[in-house]
Amino acid sequence: MEPINSRNGDADQVLVEGNSHVRKVLLNRPKQLNALSFQMISSLLELFLACEEDCNVKLIVLKGKGRAFSAGGDVAAVVHDIRKGNWKLGATFFQKEFILNYLMATYSKPQVSILNGIVMGGGAGASIHGRFRVATENSVFAMPETALGLFPDVGASYFLSRLPGFFGEYVGLTGSRLDGAEMLACGLATHFVPSVKLSLLEETLCKINSRDPAIVAANIDKFSELPTLKEKSAYHRLDIINKCFSRRTIEEIIIALERESVSTDNWISSIIKSLKTASPTSLKISLRSIREGRLQGVGQCLIREYRMVCNVMRGKLSKDFSEGCRAILLDKDKNPKWEPSKLELVSDDMVDRYFLKVDDEGWEDLKLPTRSNLPVHAISKL
Amino acid sequence: MASSAPNSADRVTFRTQVLARHLHDPARTPPTPLEPSPCLNYSPPELSEKSDFDIREMRRLMDGHHVADRDWLFGLMTQSNLFCPRERGGRVFLSPDYNQSMEQQREMTMRRIEYLLERGVFQGWLTAKGPEAELRKLAFQEVMGIFDHALAIKLGVHFFLWGGAIQFFGTKHHHEKWLRDTENYVVKGCFAMTELGHGSNVRGIETVATYDSSTGEFVINTPCESAQKYWIGGAANHATHTIVFSQLNIHGNNQGVHAFIAQIRDANGNVCPNIRVADCGHKIGLNGVDNGRIWFDNVRIPRENLLNSVADVSPDGQYLSAIKNPDQRFAAFMAPLTSGRVTIAASAIYTSKVSLAIALRYSLSRRAFAITPNGPEVLLLDYPSHQRRLLPLLAKTYAMSFAGNYLKMIYVRRTPESNKTLHVVSSAFKATLTWHNMHTLQECREACGGQGFKTENRVGPLKGEYDVQSTFEGDNNVLMQQVSKALLAEYIAAKKKNRPFRGLGLEHMNKSCPVIPSRLTSSTLRSIQFQTDIFCLRERDLLSRFAAEVSQHQAQGQNKEYAFILSYQLAEDLGKAFSERAIFQTFVDAEATLSSGSLKNVLGLLRSMYALISLEEDASFLRYGYLSPDNAAAVRKEVATLCSELRPHALALVSSFGIPDAFLAPIAYNWIEANSWSSVQH
Repeated sequence: MEPINSRNGDADQVLVEGNSHVRKVLLNRPKQLNALSFQMISSLLELFLACEEDCNVKLIVLKGKGRAFSAGGDVAAVVHDIRKGNWKLGATFFQKEFILNYLMATYSKPQVSILNGIVMGGGAGASIHGRFRVATENSVFAMPETALGLFPDVGASYFLSRLPGFFGEYVGLTGSRLDGAEMLACGLATHFVPSVKLSLLEETLCKINSRDPAIVAANIDKFSELPTLKEKSAYHRLDIINKCFSRRTIEEIIIALERESVSTDNWISSIIKSLKTASPTSLKISLRSIREGRLQGVGQCLIREYRMVCNVMRGKLSKDFSEGCRAILLDKDKNPKWEPSKLELVSDDMVDRYFLKVDDEGWEDLKLPTRSNLPVHAISKL
Repeated sequence: MASSAPNSADRVTFRTQVLARHLHDPARTPPTPLEPSPCLNYSPPELSEKSDFDIREMRRLMDGHHVADRDWLFGLMTQSNLFCPRERGGRVFLSPDYNQSMEQQREMTMRRIEYLLERGVFQGWLTAKGPEAELRKLAFQEVMGIFDHALAIKLGVHFFLWGGAIQFFGTKHHHEKWLRDTENYVVKGCFAMTELGHGSNVRGIETVATYDSSTGEFVINTPCESAQKYWIGGAANHATHTIVFSQLNIHGNNQGVHAFIAQIRDANGNVCPNIRVADCGHKIGLNGVDNGRIWFDNVRIPRENLLNSVADVSPDGQYLSAIKNPDQRFAAFMAPLTSGRVTIAASAIYTSKVSLAIALRYSLSRRAFAITPNGPEVLLLDYPSHQRRLLPLLAKTYAMSFAGNYLKMIYVRRTPESNKTLHVVSSAFKATLTWHNMHTLQECREACGGQGFKTENRVGPLKGEYDVQSTFEGDNNVLMQQVSKALLAEYIAAKKKNRPFRGLGLEHMNKSCPVIPSRLTSSTLRSIQFQTDIFCLRERDLLSRFAAEVSQHQAQGQNKEYAFILSYQLAEDLGKAFSERAIFQTFVDAEATLSSGSLKNVLGLLRSMYALISLEEDASFLRYGYLSPDNAAAVRKEVATLCSELRPHALALVSSFGIPDAFLAPIAYNWIEANSWSSVQH
């Protein structure tokens, strides 16, 4: 495979190969579980823009090297910038990442993401917005942001809110992990292909010379299987999830869960535990974001999330993001000291402020590229 | 043949050229290639329309309260198939299936209520206290009305009328017995006030409740056919209990209208003995509500079922009331019914918002006719005439949205002292806002052309669904007469006792009469000062004219009531003058809370549009000379200018209504794809 841009030192973080009509893109930072660096995001953005122009290219296949598709955005680098007092560098990172997410969500050609491993946070943003998401028995999906003092970003308020019932709230608030079968069941994945068949699948995909989603789907269908959900899968508990996670506030969600767990249900107590260890501010802004996202288009979702992430990074409202990264990623003591420390201390007014424009000179709302004359199938993918 | 071919080809060429010259001047227009023009493409208005104010901030201002809670409820509806999600043009739209039979629609309404009940939407609707809880309830009521009027009305009857009657007319033991069960739908309530023979005139109802001291029971009876209870929402199918309004007869004395609780069905839905129920039948809208009729055949209810906050009957049959005057007693009974007018006014405006958002979005993507040969067709909203049809309605909707918010605030903060204001303002706004809504719906339906005639595009069916607003919970014309009557009473009291006007916004009457400049410039026309002055001038002049005409009729020997009835023309003008001035004031007050910036600028345009379109539409200004003909012409010209200045903000202004895409309609988005052949095959 060829490095996408040979001028840069660590340019081999994204490798491209393929033929005249199919681009195969490999995320190549396996030691960091393919965490998306600024460099990788820039390369992907350039590549997607170029492929859209190039009328020979019909299809993009995206996959990760090693045991992860991508474990997320390179948050450690962002936190490093924030700690040095330069949150605006972080803003540039998210700006570029969200524009990439938007491009994928409105892409006129099919993107097939092969999710044979970890798909979290930014990794989900780089795949779920695309037309086809192929899960395997190795897939592990999660949006773990609330434990880090962040919130599900990268357009997650769009795709999580469109999952059946209130499963999206469950996934986004608790950070619970999903396997490949669950991803397929809830719609995060469009196909399930056993990993042994992946090389054959790729070979077949490379022979496709059409951008018709129906033709691509038919080709993936040849390898896909219907996996059975594990007996203990949360997806079997959708009725409880709907009953509890449809509640108006985080507090009411927790009360509803506690009411359910009378029979000391392990699954429910683990959910309650993850809600109680997550950042209270993160939980509240995440819930608000998913609820708004349910009613908005993907562009509006990304613009809102960009406001939110800038307010989070700036640290004027709360420093939970820095604290969460310290406790989970840097010091690894797993004991973040959230501030405010309790749900009841996070008022609606405080939540509101995360959704306002950042009052800082030179700051602007996210400007998304104009995407005109798109086929309908380019817009609605979930 | 071979030799003639070139000749005939030449002849064809020649003829073509001649014909072409007839059609085009070859010197001026280049020849057009004979190829089919490309198909129309849908272009989302977001790509071309740019406005500079923050939509999120505008929405907060318009919705006024509980924005996140509204979104939660919108989201609850989108996540359930009960709300009939349908895919059109790559988007999902929700609206009731009006193709269902009346019976099916009623069952769907009930199932939707059960779903929302399970999700905790009604938590605290009757058991929580205070303005915060009350405002949230109003916000939810508005959101449900955006989906379906029948859903909102069915809930309104149960919570606001049945539940409200128990809250306000009942006392502690009624509250303890009924409120929680009502909130959880253990009982389903309805509200039997109107009769076949008596609607707005509640004091004339004929149902009788007679006290039987030997058993300690009231006996409720429907003495004649005109006394049958009519239009009772919930009575035809679902309600288990009702509030019955009837004349209270104690030892042969009529103590006036009182409210009682009676059971009409058992828990299994069987109609109780001595109760007869019939359906009101199919209606021109609101078929998701089971309106019914009830006859009471000497139904016996325990003495405790009298809602006794205003008056009580002792076990031995003594009538006890703190309010001796029967007029005041009746007024005390009616005061709590204001909640209905408040919710109706607010929901009327949200419906106007839905229809304007649909019609304006369509007008920003639909083109018709080119103004140059072979030029592109013109976007509907780029026609000044189309702007003139829709943008003044948009400005009025903004103004009345602020008025609705004001009404809600005085309602949730009501005190015994504010009851009069609340009664007058709620009457005026209920009538004005619901009339405005019907007018807006008709204009929007026409502005969407044939597409407006399709049920899936929502605007059309809303006309039928919301039509009832102009007559229920107080007939609009009767309400407006009450407004004029109340203003007259203020006027007489102030003149008689020679004291200044206080309340109802009439303080301007204490000042000297405003003077309108003889030549109105554009900047004067747009000033708050001028706009305030001219609204006040009209109101004060019409009020004194009205008072003079009534007293003139009285001087000619007519009684007060009849004098009032004879002065109906001025009464109507005055009611309108009061409403428009009061609505305008709420706009000015909302604007004053903002710091200067793009948001305030666009609101300034809307406020001026509201003021000037009101001047243009009401003949009073010319009839009574508040505006000279020249000034009236200046107003008209300024309206057109304002249209063109509002045009660039149209999309942002309807986006600020905060109505999610899914609650609008296919023509508001990609209507070409929504109607494509591939969508037929789906």
